[in-house]
Amino acid sequence: MRESTWAEPIVETVHVLTLTMFLGFAVLLDLRLLGICLKRRRVSDVLGQLNRWLFAGFAVMVVTGTLLFCADPVSFYSTFFLKAKMVMLVLAGLNIVVFNLTVGRKVAEWDLDSRTPRGAKVASIVSIVLWVLIVAAGRAIAYALPPP
Amino acid sequence: MWLKHLLLTFCHWCNNSFFGHGIRNSTWLFPFVEIFHLLALGVLGGTILIVNMRLLGFRFWGESSSELAREVRPWTLGSLAVMLLSGFLLFSTEAVKMYGNWAFQFKMSSLFLAILFTFTIHRKVAMSDESRVSPLWRRLVAVVSLVLWAGVGLGGRAIGYVTTSVTSTSIWLN
Repeated sequence: MRESTWAEPIVETVHVLTLTMFLGFAVLLDLRLLGICLKRRRVSDVLGQLNRWLFAGFAVMVVTGTLLFCADPVSFYSTFFLKAKMVMLVLAGLNIVVFNLTVGRKVAEWDLDSRTPRGAKVASIVSIVLWVLIVAAGRAIAYALPPP
Repeated sequence: MWLKHLLLTFCHWCNNSFFGHGIRNSTWLFPFVEIFHLLALGVLGGTILIVNMRLLGFRFWGESSSELAREVRPWTLGSLAVMLLSGFLLFSTEAVKMYGNWAFQFKMSSLFLAILFTFTIHRKVAMSDESRVSPLWRRLVAVVSLVLWAGVGLGGRAIGYVTTSVTSTSIWLN
């Protein structure tokens, strides 16, 4: 990566373009859980359909993100924002686990409700806030890196 | 020629405006605006992508493309507004430099075409009854839309990597 002129911009571009899909779809899913968008769709349908794209997008994000990190791990690790981003990624994962173990498990009971249960609303707001902060932290890393 | 002159005058005005000046001279304002630009990109890209994927034949929830397009429309429009506003603010910090940046020129041309296409042909096809438009035509419209928006994204990505010399353009205005 370090030796090539093109590798870094290309990997970074893939990272940013995949973000479009991942963030966009995550927000759509969260908006359904809040009962704001796609109100007439079954929650389980929205989850089922969007999940595969979210997983695919996340996988691309992780691979490209790791590649970018590996180009200069020491500098990256020295920034506060990288550590913050990793912690928030773990929290976002925990949020999904908690959702699936609680309200998500009983999704059949509120599948068609446009007024979703409070647990679902909390999970989606936590998700939106975390992803916004993760993106912000990711952008901030570039500003915090020591000059080459 | 008059158009070129008008654009360059506009760029100079942006450069010297209070916001262009203010954001340029602040350490954190530029990244702050940039984050809004990036977040709106997520929502804009996601909603455009999902409608185009529907047109390409992914069924999602068995709904028609017009229903899906109508449902996500407020989010597309809202995020586009945030993109345009935050993008303009970012542009105003180095407007004259951007004037001579080919990546920026490419991005703006793509953006113009993408918006034009989205609100005319794309809108008409996405909103119309599925039986009335052939699948091939729907797919073609989706591909054109994706290519145009990808052009905007790639152009934007390239701006930072392109180094420009502004001297040739700024001399004759000053």
